[in-house]
Amino acid sequence: MKADAPQNQNLLQGTLDLLILKAVAPGERHGLGISRRIEQITNGTFQVKPGSLFPALHRMEEAGWLAASWGESENNRKAKYYRLTKAGRRQFESEVENWGRITLAMASALAAE
Amino acid sequence: MRSWDVIRMRWRTLRRRPRVEDELERELRFHLEQQAEENRTRGLPPAEARRAALRRLGGVAQIQEDCRDMRRTNFIENLWRDLRYALRMLKKSPGFTVVIVLTLALAIGANSAIFSVIDGVLLRPLPYPEANRIVRIFFHSADYAKFPLNPFDFRDFRARSRSFESMAAFTRGDLQLSGSGRPEQFTGFRVTAGFFHVLGLHPAMGREFNRKDEIPGNELSVILSDRLWRDRFAADPNIIGRKITLDSQPFTVVGVMPPGTEHPGNQYHGVAYGQTVDLWWPFAFRGNPNQRGSHFMEVIGRLKPGVAPGQAQAEMNAIVPDFARGWHVLVIPLYREIVGPSQRLLLVLLGAVALVLLIACANAANLLLARATARRSEIAVRAALGAGRRRLIAQMLAESLLIALLGGALALAMAAGAVRVLVALLPAGFPRADSIHTNAEVFVFTFLITLGAGILFGLAPALQAARADLHDRLRDGGRGATSGGRSLRLRNVLVVGEIGLASVLLIGAGLLLRSFVNLLHADPGFRPEHVLTAQISLPDATYKPPDAMRFYDRLLVSLNSAADIQAAGVGSDVPWTGYDENIGGFTIEGKKPPTGEDFHARYHLASPNYFRALGIPLVGGRFFTTADGAQALMINQAMARSYWPGKDAVGSRITFEDHPKEKDWMTVVGIVGDVKDRPTSAMAEMAMWWPIEQAFFPVQQMSVAVRGAADPALLANDIRRAVAQLDPTLAVADIRPMEDIADANVSTPRFSLFLVALFAGLALTLAAIGIYGVIAYSVGQRTQEFGLRMALGADPADVMALVLRQGVRLALAGVGVGLIAALALGRVLRSLLYGVGAADPVTFACVAAAAIAIAVLACYLPARRATGVDPAHALRAE
Repeated sequence: MKADAPQNQNLLQGTLDLLILKAVAPGERHGLGISRRIEQITNGTFQVKPGSLFPALHRMEEAGWLAASWGESENNRKAKYYRLTKAGRRQFESEVENWGRITLAMASALAAE
Repeated sequence: MRSWDVIRMRWRTLRRRPRVEDELERELRFHLEQQAEENRTRGLPPAEARRAALRRLGGVAQIQEDCRDMRRTNFIENLWRDLRYALRMLKKSPGFTVVIVLTLALAIGANSAIFSVIDGVLLRPLPYPEANRIVRIFFHSADYAKFPLNPFDFRDFRARSRSFESMAAFTRGDLQLSGSGRPEQFTGFRVTAGFFHVLGLHPAMGREFNRKDEIPGNELSVILSDRLWRDRFAADPNIIGRKITLDSQPFTVVGVMPPGTEHPGNQYHGVAYGQTVDLWWPFAFRGNPNQRGSHFMEVIGRLKPGVAPGQAQAEMNAIVPDFARGWHVLVIPLYREIVGPSQRLLLVLLGAVALVLLIACANAANLLLARATARRSEIAVRAALGAGRRRLIAQMLAESLLIALLGGALALAMAAGAVRVLVALLPAGFPRADSIHTNAEVFVFTFLITLGAGILFGLAPALQAARADLHDRLRDGGRGATSGGRSLRLRNVLVVGEIGLASVLLIGAGLLLRSFVNLLHADPGFRPEHVLTAQISLPDATYKPPDAMRFYDRLLVSLNSAADIQAAGVGSDVPWTGYDENIGGFTIEGKKPPTGEDFHARYHLASPNYFRALGIPLVGGRFFTTADGAQALMINQAMARSYWPGKDAVGSRITFEDHPKEKDWMTVVGIVGDVKDRPTSAMAEMAMWWPIEQAFFPVQQMSVAVRGAADPALLANDIRRAVAQLDPTLAVADIRPMEDIADANVSTPRFSLFLVALFAGLALTLAAIGIYGVIAYSVGQRTQEFGLRMALGADPADVMALVLRQGVRLALAGVGVGLIAALALGRVLRSLLYGVGAADPVTFACVAAAAIAIAVLACYLPARRATGVDPAHALRAE
């Protein structure tokens, strides 16, 4: 995963999951679409390469947070679309809450003397 | 997620795997094309657009692998893939595969076969409900370890003991069926009330015996076995109440036992076991309850729940002195009584066959190690392509598991046949032989040891292969002495182990062989060649003792005058066929017994020519004759030496009466040689023979022994004809050449010898293959060195000696280990040996020499090949 600044690997996986969940929360997307969306909503900071994206998608599908189905893309090609499951939505909400706590904690830690 | 959902998902994932792989590929392709299209829309030329998209995608294979890892059903998928790959590899080297699979199949098969026997004999519960509560009860004294009871002793126990829910006794009582067709003698037992109840069995039809049947005069009822009912009475549904003539008397059939009824076995007088019993009839208590001299009842009891055999024994010992002085009671669980003697033998066989399996595993490990080093480059490439250490080990283990499974499958295929052969070879009278089958337990056992073996011999090569110094292997194409060094050491250790284990088995076989030969050469005390024996039973109803006497006299006259018969005799028993412990106490004229004891010895009956017929030698005095009447006595050497030490017993008089009149004194007329109870008995029991005229105990059942040079079949006809002439309704039963009886008595040692020798042979072959493999490999590794030596002027013979020395060193180490192990394990074998110690130096030395010789032989071929190395060629190799 490319980013402008060096990141910690473990944090990245959790972050990637959250970003993917966010990307499909409004509605289903195919893999490339998810990647585009993430790039879009992070203003280009995170450009998720297929090598990271697909394993993550499959992992989350295994975990039951995403459900996949085949549909037709914009130009009538067959593509695999991912959408959020109920469990996935719960996971998303819990991750958002978690993230909020982390950011607060980090902010307070960095602001301290 | 709930675990059930997880499992379901995993299963779905597994099933859908091809589709999932396919989908992933399509997904990636879509991604690629879509990306390329977007690049084109952004203005890149088509070729560049596609290349950019490809670059961004990255390594497809890697993505696929990562996704696969995510799927978490990896383990099974990998295993399946590894197994398929292993199968391909094995097919590529068929010779190698065949050798390993075959040796494993033989070793595993042998284990399964022995386990089948152990399962049937030792592990399967007895065919009686709650069989662990059934016990056998014996009398025990310093002289007699397990002695039967007197009927009245049994009755007192039954009345007074509080430890038993029920108790019953039985004694052999064969009956003859006459009437239609040839008279036939059936195996039967006289039993007391509730006998089957003690065992937990019930008649399928009718009833079993009760106390009323024990009253003298009420014995004429009979319970038939299922087999007899079907064979002889055509499964007549109205059999109950029918009268049949047994021993010339009308017996009423009161019950029929269900099929598969197993009699629990007896100790004496020809063991009848399992389903061989034809009928049961009541035992009636006759005679004076205070006369308790004869002991012939075998007793079983069912303990009350929660009572231990030891408690029952203690309780009974407390009441014994009231009616039977000098005896202790012995209570033994029925299971132990039945299988006890065979336990040791079976466990020894299991140990032996386990050793064979270990050797086969060592061999397999050796072969795999050799192959692993040969496949170094292939493994290195795999490692370079990203296979982690764990995956490499898993792949190699998959291979050994596959080999093991193939071997195990082959073993199972052979198992059923092998078990049948084994059962056919079992010694006569081996307990519970008919419960031996290949069944589910055997399959499970085979599967488990197959898996175990696969892991055992697969682990070392797998670890060895994964221990990669990548550069080292990729670099040189074949040599690499360093990376092969550890492997070679391990292989040497394995071979030394193999030779050691094989030596242990060989020593075991050698000791058993010496025992067996000793047994064969031991003087039985009689001469079994050309002797035929038979049993005759004269029914009580038609033959009172004087009639019986007359019958035998006439029979003997008739037989002794036959042309092809040298000597014919009649006696209460013949050697080596079991014996009712009949002991008589007596007084010797002019001697005082040692304080506290009395003189006692076994008593038998015999006709004058009995000893001559059996070939029992005369060592003093003479044989008694009919002219001597009823007062003559023959004794054996054991008795003579014991009670007349240093003196001649001939001429002494003894009596069995407390207040003897003149006619009660018997004179010792001759001394005969000793005959032991069994070939393996330590010594002969003291015994004496009364002439059959002296009908102290029932003469109705006697054994006939006939010596003649003719064919046994002709002799049998002579006996049958002579009997038929006197009484056509009599059955002549159990016609057997004495040689068969003698043979049957060594059948157990022969059986153990045969099997252990077989296993030892197998082990030796495997060890020879093992040492051949290692030496051949080592020679292959050192061709450069040999070439160099010979180029520098060494003699081919020196090179050969070098190789042979290496082999001998391995063999010596192996034999050393084996000898030490054999010394340690020797104790296990002791009860099976005869006339030879468990640390017999001769056997040890022979085995050591043989093992070394075989090892040298196995090394010969590689050694010769070493001398055939072309020095120039060897030096040229890289």
